[in-house]
Amino acid sequence: MAEIREGTERGGPSGTLRRFLARPEAPALVFLAALVAVFSLASGSFFQVGNLESIVSSVAVLGIIALAVNQVVLCGEIDISTGSMLGLCAVAAGAAATSFGGLFLPLLAGVAVGAVAGAINGLLVTLGRIPAIIVTLGMLYALRGVILLVTGGTWITGIPNETRVLGTGTVLGVGYPMILLVGLFLIMEVAGRHSTWGRNVFAVGGNRRAARFAGLPIDRVRFLAFVLVGVFVGIASVIYLGRTGSVQTNAGAGLELQVVAAVVIGGTSISGGRGSALAALTGAVLIGVILNGLILLGVPSIWQDAVLGSLILLAVTTDVVRRRLVGDRA
Amino acid sequence: MSAAVATLRRVGFSREMVLLAVLIMLVVVMALIEPLFLSVGNLLNTSRFFVEVGLMALGMTLIIITGGIDLSVGSNLALVSVAVGFSFAAGLPLPLAILFGLVVGVAAGFFNSVFITFLDLHPLVVTLGTFALFQGLAYGLSGAQAVSNFPAWFAYFGQAYLLNVVPGQLIIFVVAVAVVWVILARTSFGRYVYAIGNNEEAARFSGVPIRRVKIALYSGIGLLVGMAAVIYTSRVSTARGDSGLGLELDVISAVVLGGASIYGGSGTIGGTVLGVLIIATLRNGLILAGVPSTWQLFILGILLLVAVFLNEFFRKTEE
Repeated sequence: MAEIREGTERGGPSGTLRRFLARPEAPALVFLAALVAVFSLASGSFFQVGNLESIVSSVAVLGIIALAVNQVVLCGEIDISTGSMLGLCAVAAGAAATSFGGLFLPLLAGVAVGAVAGAINGLLVTLGRIPAIIVTLGMLYALRGVILLVTGGTWITGIPNETRVLGTGTVLGVGYPMILLVGLFLIMEVAGRHSTWGRNVFAVGGNRRAARFAGLPIDRVRFLAFVLVGVFVGIASVIYLGRTGSVQTNAGAGLELQVVAAVVIGGTSISGGRGSALAALTGAVLIGVILNGLILLGVPSIWQDAVLGSLILLAVTTDVVRRRLVGDRA
Repeated sequence: MSAAVATLRRVGFSREMVLLAVLIMLVVVMALIEPLFLSVGNLLNTSRFFVEVGLMALGMTLIIITGGIDLSVGSNLALVSVAVGFSFAAGLPLPLAILFGLVVGVAAGFFNSVFITFLDLHPLVVTLGTFALFQGLAYGLSGAQAVSNFPAWFAYFGQAYLLNVVPGQLIIFVVAVAVVWVILARTSFGRYVYAIGNNEEAARFSGVPIRRVKIALYSGIGLLVGMAAVIYTSRVSTARGDSGLGLELDVISAVVLGGASIYGGSGTIGGTVLGVLIIATLRNGLILAGVPSTWQLFILGILLLVAVFLNEFFRKTEE
């Protein structure tokens, strides 16, 4: 931390390093690299293409949703309804898969249901003027109720193989989950830098009053962010469907926490306006590596929640400490 | 619509009156659906289920008035329940185990307040983190096991009847309501709570000890959660890591239904008590009517959204 400060004041020769350290996702990336190094030394099987790809694939669902929620957080809002939303989208996609088969219709069903749920969130936040945390907390429970209502508490099984391809299939040896995750990441990274909406998201989250005075459509920007979450959850639900091959009524329970954790651990500021798509991706992969590492170290899975909670607190604390040390410029 | 509101005001409109009317309506409807509902035995029995939510809602009211929130109460309840159960199972005498549980509850609340005040973090993020942390600790420390071999007298907190009809915990709740009401409505501390919620910056410049007030509030709700956890553990005679799962929704719904603005600055203990009663009546009625518990979650979720929406709608028309 002190190093960054000196570098900023001196304006010394280490410009590239300084610019890297000033990026929001820098601490998470450094931490990720250190962790990968430690696990690689601790276990020979860790640093192998197969294991690394399986880690990335296992966080594809989490990462894709985190990429969208990242936009919501950048707007200065939050969405904690994604766990139930994933369950509902998976139910819709699963029902379409068992009755029609194919890949297109289940994907369409999942995305459509997600978009509607996201639109409800967005409308309640923008037009209803209800805080996002309350809206999405209410939706977290309401959507879970809808799942039980629709399924009657029974599982959806017998998903045909052609639907499962997004979870299990590969192209040139690379799994679809990883391709989708990286593809959507690239889209979000470009959108964040070069699209009007992507720039507006930063403006609305950074200083909402200034954005309003500049004439930006604040409500539309936020509404679209919530709809985007629904769409990405819909896409993720088909990957989920492919990987699990069935839908339980508690599908996606607790995922909302991991998603928020991924976003803030990656370095996107919870107060909005500062962060990047790379931060969300880094956060998601970091969670995947840590969960994988916990198994490697033989830690029982019942401790996962505690680790996750500590990571969220650690991440937000780091963010505050860094801002105090280097100011808001970094 | 504003004409209707004006008429309501002329006939003595106040939020508490509306809530009371809703409660009475609800009781009548429930009594029509299920005659058993209106028996004294059932009504008193209902109180068994709302005391835990009610105790936490009292603390949550003050926190929401300051513009904060605590999402970790359900997890904290699980943590305290595990602390009581497993320290007892490890050989600690039960009275000390209960005391230890209360200390854990307060410590958990204090832990929240440290992040919120000293790091200036939003309570939402902090308590979302501790929501997972406390839940994880409760699971991890209990090893996903349960403790249930409590001595008979422990049942007093959650199962005893006074004069054969009044559940013991109802007395605790009534006393807690009185104490918190006095604190909020009759002390300078209570005025500080409103001042922070209305305008924290102005309160700071007026010399309100914001940090100390917040530490007291979040530690205080920890104590209330601890009490609720002891009652809960006694009522179900079991200490487990998944106790209190999802209770934060009931608690926040009750407070918001009771008229506290989620943006801070307004709310009353009377409103919260009515909110708790309405939710308890609804839950009890739904159980009696044979509605599955999953539906209840759905209805609660919708209820929370409608309550917040109506609250902010009325507030705007009032202004």
